[in-house]
Amino acid sequence: MLKIDLSNLKTTGLLYSFVFAFFISSPALAQEDTTAVSQFDPEVVAAGEKLFKANCTQCHAIRTRLIGPPLENIQDRLERDYLIRWIRNSQQVIESGDDYAVSLYEEYNRTAMPAYPFTDEEVEGLLAYIEVESNKAPEAEVATTGEEGVADAGTSQLTSGYVTTILVVLVIILVLILIVLGLIVSVLTRYLKEKKDLDESELEVVRQRIDLGRFFRSDAVVGIVIFIFTAVVLKTLIDGAFTIGIQQGYQPTQPIAYSHALHAGEYQIDCNYCHTGVRKAKSANIPSANICMNCHSGIKNLAGKDGISPEIQKIYDAIDYNPETGEYGTNTKPIEWVRVHNLPDLSYFNHAQHVEVGGVECQTCHGPVEEMEVVYQYADLTMGWCINCHRDTDVNTKGNDYYNKLVELHARNSKEPMKVKDVGGLECSKCHY
Amino acid sequence: MTIYRMKYNSILAIAVAIILSSCTAGPDDTGVEFAPNMYHSVPYEPLSQITNEDAGRWVNSLDPVFSFDSIRRVDRSQPAEFYNSNPNNAFGMTMREPVPGTVKRGQYLPVRIAPDDFEAAARLLVNPTDSTEAVIKNGKLLYERFCLLCHGAEGNGDGPVSTKYFGIANLNGVAYQALNEGHIYQVITYGKGLMGAHGSQLDVEERWEIARYVKALQKQQQ
Repeated sequence: MLKIDLSNLKTTGLLYSFVFAFFISSPALAQEDTTAVSQFDPEVVAAGEKLFKANCTQCHAIRTRLIGPPLENIQDRLERDYLIRWIRNSQQVIESGDDYAVSLYEEYNRTAMPAYPFTDEEVEGLLAYIEVESNKAPEAEVATTGEEGVADAGTSQLTSGYVTTILVVLVIILVLILIVLGLIVSVLTRYLKEKKDLDESELEVVRQRIDLGRFFRSDAVVGIVIFIFTAVVLKTLIDGAFTIGIQQGYQPTQPIAYSHALHAGEYQIDCNYCHTGVRKAKSANIPSANICMNCHSGIKNLAGKDGISPEIQKIYDAIDYNPETGEYGTNTKPIEWVRVHNLPDLSYFNHAQHVEVGGVECQTCHGPVEEMEVVYQYADLTMGWCINCHRDTDVNTKGNDYYNKLVELHARNSKEPMKVKDVGGLECSKCHY
Repeated sequence: MTIYRMKYNSILAIAVAIILSSCTAGPDDTGVEFAPNMYHSVPYEPLSQITNEDAGRWVNSLDPVFSFDSIRRVDRSQPAEFYNSNPNNAFGMTMREPVPGTVKRGQYLPVRIAPDDFEAAARLLVNPTDSTEAVIKNGKLLYERFCLLCHGAEGNGDGPVSTKYFGIANLNGVAYQALNEGHIYQVITYGKGLMGAHGSQLDVEERWEIARYVKALQKQQQ
């Protein structure tokens, strides 16, 4: 009996293993295995995703710790009822004295999660979405974009390399042709000289030599050379004299390698965000470090790099900020930015009047700042430059009652739109007083 | 004779041209200034500071290096022409922070609510601006300048910086719909969570206008 039983057991065991092997090897079933995640209805997951992105992403991510803890595989870590209680009213859970809740609350700087009155279905969708996201492989987006940029630079270098080689080869070919032609000429002349039966006029052509010295001493050539020389020297003199007091192209090295191309260009931060005085005061203002810290309390390095960037560390040093603890000390010192644009005291310029009232774009005078790695003076800031703009620019009178009477008066005498020059934009004392 | 003179003249002209062309500004060089006294203010000027006491010594014709006029000699112990630093301030800065508690003329008196007491702010603060088209339009302008970079055009927390700075609030989220203008004002002024304080960038009225616009935006997005 026992023996039979054993054999029986063995056979059933074999059978089971067979069946198991079949299941494993069956391609259809194996496929289903990898997509086991989608045990959820896609619609429920989509609804959950919408809800998650609308309400949770500001404090939670799947894998990274933000204001709140990462939510990867939360369904395995906590019971569903507990989660629902937490989502609906986290403070109640904390107040109930639950150990885990209290420790979490303490760990995340005593920041309470707001109450979300989600229905059971909505929570279902949320959890489904989190589970689906948790099972996805982490993405690596940053690395790919970086590589693309490198590849681009490489191709442009390659093309310019090709152009130079082609040019060099062309020059070599031309020089060779010149040498060959010279050789042919000399061989022919020698041949002709040996011939005895040439008459006088033909001999003259054969004996002819180019007298370079006489050519260069001829009046016409000397005249032309002197003229060109004088013209070039005069032009340089006048141009040089006109650069006195003009600082166009001045591009000082700043104490922190701040890039407008990154901040204003790539991340499209509005100029007004940092240069807060530009619509209210004479000067546009250089932002103080607290404005830097609005973002740099969180952003500590360039995309895809670990640790603290040495340039961002300079902000932290200036305001005595400890990025580890997030605390500020008292040992602060100013960041000594180098002034780029500097008008002499003899002229008055007001940013607010031009930007807020006149509606002039920053780029009109400062150039493509959003493309500058290091800021340089774009315009020459000469009086002629100011005056030209005042002659050509229409006054921005729209929605500004101050100009009503002036527009009326102007319209009586002229059909042209009112320019800045028509409201005293060329008066000396407008800027010089 | 004439050829020699011509040579001499042309060398002189080239020399002058080279000297003049070196007046041009370069990356780390402002170039030669016309009337340097005018580029370097005598009064303390904001956003400029020259700490070197000898900067611009050459401008003064009475300086002993240049002047033989021994009677009217300038005292060398005094800082030179371009020096522009205020010895009474820390680091010789030419600007000074206002005294704590200073209220700007024409501005509102400060409300003494603790920066993190959002509940009190929501209860006590009242928006002084009118709820007119113009105010909301201005609020929108200000929102686009100061908030859009993170919170996005529609307030969904998807502004251009959100790819780099995580944890940005979606203003249309359920929890944010319920917040009133007082709460929003307090958050703009002092910051909350990951958001920094924006009180230094925006006037009181501007903050209220933004708060008004945010509420209008939330209604639009609902």
